[in-house]
Amino acid sequence: MMLIRPIVADDLEALYCMAQSAGVGVTTLPANEELLASRIEHSERSFSRSVDPQDAYYLFALEDTELKRVVGVSGIMARVGLDEVWYNYRVSTTVNASKELGIHKQTPTLYLTNDMTDCTEICTLFLHADYRNGHNGQLLSKCRFLYLADFAEYFSSKIFAEMRGYADEDGNSPFWECLGRKFFTMEFSKADYLTGLGNKAFIAELMPKYPIYLPFLTEEAREVIGQVHPHTRPALAMLESEGFNFNGLVDIFDAGPLVEVFVRNIRSVRDSIKRHVMPSQQTVSDIETPIMVSNRSFENFRVALIDQSQIKQDVVSLSHELQENLQLESGDMVRTVPLRAKRAE
Amino acid sequence: MIIVRPSRFADLPGIEKLVNESAARLSTLPSDRDKLGEKVDYSTRSFAGDDEVSGKERYLFVMEDTETREILGTSGMDASAGNGAPFYNYRLDELIHSSQQLDVYNEVDILYMTHELTGTTALCSLSISPRYRKTPYFDLLSRSRFMFMQLHHTRFVQRIIAEIQGMQDETGNSPFWESLGRHFFDMDFATADYYSGIKSKTFIAEMMPSHPVYVPLLSKEAQDAIAQPHSSAADNCQFLYREGFKLGRHIDIFDGGPTLEASRSDLNTVKSMKRKQVKLSEHQVGLQYLMCNTRFNEFRATLANMTDGMGDVLRLKRATAESLQIAEGGDVAFAPL
Repeated sequence: MMLIRPIVADDLEALYCMAQSAGVGVTTLPANEELLASRIEHSERSFSRSVDPQDAYYLFALEDTELKRVVGVSGIMARVGLDEVWYNYRVSTTVNASKELGIHKQTPTLYLTNDMTDCTEICTLFLHADYRNGHNGQLLSKCRFLYLADFAEYFSSKIFAEMRGYADEDGNSPFWECLGRKFFTMEFSKADYLTGLGNKAFIAELMPKYPIYLPFLTEEAREVIGQVHPHTRPALAMLESEGFNFNGLVDIFDAGPLVEVFVRNIRSVRDSIKRHVMPSQQTVSDIETPIMVSNRSFENFRVALIDQSQIKQDVVSLSHELQENLQLESGDMVRTVPLRAKRAE
Repeated sequence: MIIVRPSRFADLPGIEKLVNESAARLSTLPSDRDKLGEKVDYSTRSFAGDDEVSGKERYLFVMEDTETREILGTSGMDASAGNGAPFYNYRLDELIHSSQQLDVYNEVDILYMTHELTGTTALCSLSISPRYRKTPYFDLLSRSRFMFMQLHHTRFVQRIIAEIQGMQDETGNSPFWESLGRHFFDMDFATADYYSGIKSKTFIAEMMPSHPVYVPLLSKEAQDAIAQPHSSAADNCQFLYREGFKLGRHIDIFDGGPTLEASRSDLNTVKSMKRKQVKLSEHQVGLQYLMCNTRFNEFRATLANMTDGMGDVLRLKRATAESLQIAEGGDVAFAPL
C-alpha cells in the first residue's frame, strides 16, 4: 500500500538516495546529507508544533508500506520571505507613447518584486523513478491540499508553487545564460545548487535590481520566460486542474512560472467531504476510481487511496489494514476527495 | 580678413550653403532652411537681450571672409543646456554586485538617465568649410567662443560641456542606437536624430526608457561604442582635450557619443587671455594671436600678428583694429594661438 505520512529521522538515508538521483532543477532537494537531516528535523518540529506556524516546513513522505521505504516526498513551506528576502520577476508592460509623433510602444519589462512574501509555498516534490506510475504522483502532490483543507489557519490564504523553468538537454537555462550569468560568473547548476542550500537570497542580491526591458534579452531567453521544463509539464497540468493559475511572476534564475490559487478554490479542498469511518472485513485491492482519504491529524497526518466503492454517503468503509495505516478507529472523522477532477462531460 | 561675429539674418543663404556641404558639419546644426532661420533669429534675440529668451539664450556666430562675404564657418553655444527644458544624458556609472558569502565580486556598468547637465553652457553648431579645417581659423572659430564667454562671464555658468557625435558603422547606423533606443522609438537613428534636432525634446522623455540600463545587456558593438567619438569628430575631440576639456561620465542618449566637460576658468584660452588698450600702429609684426573686442552684441574676433609687450597698451595694426571695430584707446582681448 502507498501511504502518505510525515517524514521522520529514519527516512534520511532513503531521502538522500533520492536527492542524489534528482539532479539539477529540484532546488529544494539538494544532495547534501547534513542539509537534508536538518530539513527532516525542521519538518518533525513543525508537525509537533514546536516551531512558530509561520516558520513551519512540512515534509510529507510517500511510503511503500510493504517495503517500509520512502519513495517520494512533497512539502509545504508555511511562509516564504520572512527570514530572508524572496525574489521574483514580475512580467509587466511599459508603454511609451508620443502624441506628437503618433507612436505607441509597448515594451515587456521584468520587475524584481517580493510579491510572494508571507505566502505559503508547496514545494519539494520528488518521486522515485520506479514509482512514477499509477496514482503515486497525484497522491504525493495532492495529499498536501487535504492538509491545507483541515489546517488552513496555519497557512496563508494564497498558495503558490514555483515551476521549474526551461533548460536544454545539458541543463543550461537560456534565461540564466542571458541574464543572471552576466551579473556574476557562475554556472546555472552551481547557482541552482547554492539555491538549494538556502543561499537563494545571497544569489538574488547579486541579481540586477532595476527593471529589465525584455528587448535587451536574447530571443532564446525571451522565449522561455514563463515556460516550464518539459519534465515539469505534467506537474503544471496537475496543478492547473486543481485551480492554480500563472500569476505573472517568474523565477529570477530560470524564468519558470509561478502558479497560485486561494486555498478555498483548490479543487481538492473545495470538493472534499468529511465522513465517518466504518470498519470493513473486505480488502479492496483494485482501485478503479481513486479517492484520497486523510485522517485529519495535524501531528500524525496520514493519507491513502481507497476506491469510490468504499464510500457510502457519509461513511467510509476501511479495512483493518487501512485503519491501522491511517491510525483510525471506527467512528473517526476523515476527509475524502476524488484524486482527480471529474472530466467535463 | 576673416572675422567671427554674431550671425545675422542676411547670413542665412551662406550658412545654408555651408551646412549642406555635409563634410563641413561637425555637430548638430539643422540643414532645414526654416529651422536655420529660427536658429539665427533666436541668436539675434539672444544678443539683443530679448526678455523672451532670457535665461535660455542660444548664441550663433559665423566666420566670414569680409572681402568675399563668404560664410566659412559657424559656432555657437547654449547659455543653458536644455534651453529651459530638461537636457537628457546617460550617466555611465558602476555598481558592485558582490557577496562575501558566495565569494563573488562583480562590477556592473549601468546607464542612468540624468538631467544633471541641464543649465550648463553647451557648445554647439560647429561647422567649418573643409578648406579651413586644419588651419588656425579653426581655433579662431571655436576658441573665440571661450573669449566671449569669459568677457561676458555673468551671462554664463562655469561648467561648459561639448557633446561629441558618437560612433557609427560604415552604413551610418549607430550600434548604440540599434541596441538601445531603437527598441523604444521604433525608428532608425537618422529619423530620431532629425526629430531631436527639430521637434521639442518632450518626445525623448515620452519614448526613452525611464529605468537605468545595464550595460552588459547591450550588444557587444553597442558596449564598444559607449563614449567613442565618431571618426569625423576625432580631431575636434583632440582640440577640446588640448583646450582643457575632459571626458566626463555622460554620454548621448541616442548614439552614446561622449560629452566633454570643462570649467571655463580652466580653459587654456581663458587662462592665457589678456585685456589691454589699443594703440593704433601702421606696422605690426610678431606671432599670430586670437584677438577680439570686448563688446557683447557687436562682438568681433580675428587672427592677427602682433607683439605683446609690457604695460597696458597694445599696438595694433589699423586694419585689424578696424575689423574688430575698435578705436584708438578701446579695449582689446587676446590669447596666444
